[in-house]
Amino acid sequence: MRKLISLFVTLFVLGAACGGGMFDAQGQRREGAARTAAATGAPTETLIRNATVITISRGTLANTDILIRNGKIAAVGQNLKAGERARVIDATGKYVMPGIIDAHSHSMSDAINEGTLSVTSMVRIRDVLNPTAVNLYRELAGGVTTLNLLHGSANTIGGQNTVVKIKYGRPVSEFIFPGAPPGIKFALGENVKRASSTVLPGQTRRYPATRMGQEEVLRDAFTRARNYKRAWDEHRAATTRGDKNLIPPRRDLQLEPLVEILEGKRLVHAHCYRADEIIMLLNLADDFGFKIKTLQHVLEGYKVAREIAAHGAGASSFADSWSYKIEAYDAIPHNAAVMTRAGIVVSINSDSDERARRLNIDAAKMMKYGDLTEEEALRLITINPAIQLGIQDRVGTIDVGKDADLAIWTAHPFSVYSRVETTFIDGDIFFDRQQDLARRPALEREREELMRAEANRPPTEGGAQPGAPRRRPTNHHDHDDVDNGEGDNHR
Amino acid sequence: MRTQTARRPGVAPLLTLALVFALLVSAASLLMPRRVASAQQQGRTSAIDTYAITGARIVTVSGAEIPRGTIVIRNGLIASVGANVAAPPDARIIDGAGLTVYPGFIDANTNLGMPAAPARPAGGGGAAAAFLAAQQQPTPAVFSPNSSQPVGLQPEILASDVVRPGGEQIESARSAGLTAAQTAPREGIFMGQSAVINLAGDTPQQMIVRSPVALHVGFTPLRTGTYPASLLGVYAGIRQMLLDAQRYREANAVYERNPRGLRRPDQDKSLAALLPVLSRQMPVVMYADRQRDIERALDLAQEFNLRVVIAGGAESWRVAERLAAAKVPVLLSLNYPRRTTPDSPDAEPDPLRILRERVDAPKTAGRLAAAGVRFAFQSGGLSNMNDYLANVSKSLEQGLPREEAVRALTIRPAEILGVADQLGTIEVGKIANLTVTRGDAFARDRRITHVFIDGRPVDLRPAPAPSAPGQTRSLASGTWALRVQLEGQPERSVTLTLQQEAERLSGSIQGDFGSAQIANASVGATGDIRFTVPITTGTQTTEATFNGTINGNEMRGTVTTVGTGSGTFNGTRAGGGGSTTPSATPTPTQTPTTEGTRPPE
Repeated sequence: MRKLISLFVTLFVLGAACGGGMFDAQGQRREGAARTAAATGAPTETLIRNATVITISRGTLANTDILIRNGKIAAVGQNLKAGERARVIDATGKYVMPGIIDAHSHSMSDAINEGTLSVTSMVRIRDVLNPTAVNLYRELAGGVTTLNLLHGSANTIGGQNTVVKIKYGRPVSEFIFPGAPPGIKFALGENVKRASSTVLPGQTRRYPATRMGQEEVLRDAFTRARNYKRAWDEHRAATTRGDKNLIPPRRDLQLEPLVEILEGKRLVHAHCYRADEIIMLLNLADDFGFKIKTLQHVLEGYKVAREIAAHGAGASSFADSWSYKIEAYDAIPHNAAVMTRAGIVVSINSDSDERARRLNIDAAKMMKYGDLTEEEALRLITINPAIQLGIQDRVGTIDVGKDADLAIWTAHPFSVYSRVETTFIDGDIFFDRQQDLARRPALEREREELMRAEANRPPTEGGAQPGAPRRRPTNHHDHDDVDNGEGDNHR
Repeated sequence: MRTQTARRPGVAPLLTLALVFALLVSAASLLMPRRVASAQQQGRTSAIDTYAITGARIVTVSGAEIPRGTIVIRNGLIASVGANVAAPPDARIIDGAGLTVYPGFIDANTNLGMPAAPARPAGGGGAAAAFLAAQQQPTPAVFSPNSSQPVGLQPEILASDVVRPGGEQIESARSAGLTAAQTAPREGIFMGQSAVINLAGDTPQQMIVRSPVALHVGFTPLRTGTYPASLLGVYAGIRQMLLDAQRYREANAVYERNPRGLRRPDQDKSLAALLPVLSRQMPVVMYADRQRDIERALDLAQEFNLRVVIAGGAESWRVAERLAAAKVPVLLSLNYPRRTTPDSPDAEPDPLRILRERVDAPKTAGRLAAAGVRFAFQSGGLSNMNDYLANVSKSLEQGLPREEAVRALTIRPAEILGVADQLGTIEVGKIANLTVTRGDAFARDRRITHVFIDGRPVDLRPAPAPSAPGQTRSLASGTWALRVQLEGQPERSVTLTLQQEAERLSGSIQGDFGSAQIANASVGATGDIRFTVPITTGTQTTEATFNGTINGNEMRGTVTTVGTGSGTFNGTRAGGGGSTTPSATPTPTQTPTTEGTRPPE
């Protein structure tokens, strides 16, 4: 298996190398392509014929058709009929699986951390989205359709998250996952302590510098949030009584989301590693009467799986990032499997633009480590993250009535030889390998033409030195090889 | 702001002591700065104040073009204009044969006359010096005393309080045919309130046409290491302050109705300064170039029902429909991007998106005009002001109608800035700001022959040649070879490509950390630079914050990351050129924005 993985990695790196050039050639062209598709009224019906359908909810169905109508899955079965104008795709010998959901991503964010304060619940990832980030297209090419965009892990209470569908080429407002419950990022441990940061002369270390301090920051924040809620409740009560001469309390954007957490209206996604900090957080949440929706990374989750299950928290972990920093020394590859067996809803996330496009392989590894069944491993990147994000009624399985977010693969997605042919979101195509290949010559011609324009000609004299060519990552940087000390999942 | 408060202590005791009017006058004249006194002696009446330009082609903008007519200027105003107007006997006559007279061109957004931060002593070499240099808090160019808000979030700052007359930049602007400008402080999130100034006059009082004009919002994170230090925090910070201002208004209203039994609300001049903005009396100029920057600005304006004006607007054509529907004007930068790197077989090719952007830049004005978006031209930090009209000409070649081009230089900025009754057209009674050219203003062989400001001709410098690509440099622009040393990790090489436009900075990195665009970037007048960028070590990506100082062609400072440790960096600018030392009065830059080499998007 390990050999297989490294072969896969080599192949993938080669693919990435070619891919770089290909994206270069295309730039934002897909924007135009996707727009025209929408504008010219792309078929409202699509029939995918004769595929092996990985439904997640009802097993894997051979020789099965999927009918997509108005962005939803209208029927799954055999010998389905579509309207005359329907787009029909023959998927004989191919696999269809639900779009992959990445429960921890920092793609398309123009800023990730507001690290100045320990509580930055007022900042919103929604404010800094970049719908043109090329990584989104690469993720579509890996069969990913939904991302949970989180604030970084620089502070105890980070910013508000945004769940998006990767509608690359569309305006940013169309990315926002309709009806996804709002969430927020918490973080514990080394990154928050600034364990690896040097305090520069004349600078004070930001509080908290210990895990004890992190608990205090949380207790203080939620105590303030309770008082804030009480102040507003009293003000509203007084207004209702008819008191006129009142100055309302200040609206506090930092505390408002924390009140929402206390009221169960905002999901907490908490970055954590060690068992002790996990228990601390679960106890603290119990004290204040709210739930932790997911523990993120949670590398020592296997040690406290029962407690996590009892709290009802989900766990979103890496496939195989162990020992790459002190708080990861006790991490084991069987973590996801152990937690699954304890009854926890577990997902595998990427936390990386690069790993996001091969989450299928990261999920497959969980069959090796801990003997998850194929079904269980598939759930790690589909319905489980959907449940963790509160969007399980819309996505995560191939069932009638769900959003038509799915990908056609050339082979079983757990094969290292499999690749994505077509990726659909709400029934529209956002990645198609054949279209991509077909567009390249035209883009090359356009490039040549543009290079002749005056603004693109090199300066007659002087000028800045051109940038050095980008060094391609080589396979020894892969995460399996943690000794190079370069792996880091924390943002 | 500081210069005024500094003067006051000297005057105040005299005011209290001097009860005799004559004494007061003589004391005041003794204290009066020299240049003010000399300006008064010049006296507007003693010098020639009547001019007539005869037999010229007159582009009035307000009405039909006059193929051959005369303009009479008296006492700073346009006294008469027309085909059959005779020059009065006391007028100094300018033979206008072969000349074209336009309403004085207006630069819709500048930092002209705004003070820059005082220079910091240049640090010695060594990592320790770099650490210290990076830690020193830069002295702000302007600040508001007793403010409730930190520097950078002080909307009460008035450009009119800090504007200084004269100087190289104002001179080169008017030599390029510009007569008036909106000017605003250089830095910050809430940067302050702008003024419209005439580009002549010996005192601020003589220059100011209107103040305050608009609140300027820059979205540049604070460089002091305090909240907000990222774009995330910038938006949250703006939102919270606007909410606080709403409550301030409400609290004061309640308190004024009946103060008894109520705790007195704190007086807060920063929040008070936002009230005209919330009531839509004062427009808000938001700096936004990329489509997503513009959409975010529009979203924010919509959230708080603000009267927004977009400044920059490189990709505004992509948002044209929304801008037109919401009647949002654009102050469009004429600082068009172009390639600055020579051919090299080793270089990564520029992404298609960048190639398109450079070619598309001159098309934006025409596209906005076609979509019905109101826009005015601004210099956007052009280093060579001779490119101002040259770049308007490029837009003409790309489909911008001539009349629209003239409007975007004259009446449009006047309207958007609320000075249309004073400037922007050649009409009787308006301020006599005129730009006179030999040949058409947009012809390649044009020459600016006369510039009148407040009814007086100003001395013109010979125009420099239009800039060739890549010749000009700025404090930060260029390609930098950096060595980055993170604790416990091997040294890494990074190529940093920077483009600077005034204090705003864009660019990308390439090399051992992968390729990425920088964000939250800014550079101060003294060379203090700050930006964040995603770096990739192995397969993982993390966010790094670079904090350092530029000294000539050297840059050094510190790097902090989340999770990957911290360290130092130093490097040099390739090619040598560049400004050798950070100057106290930086030229607002320069190198046309190019995105350099970066991964496509």
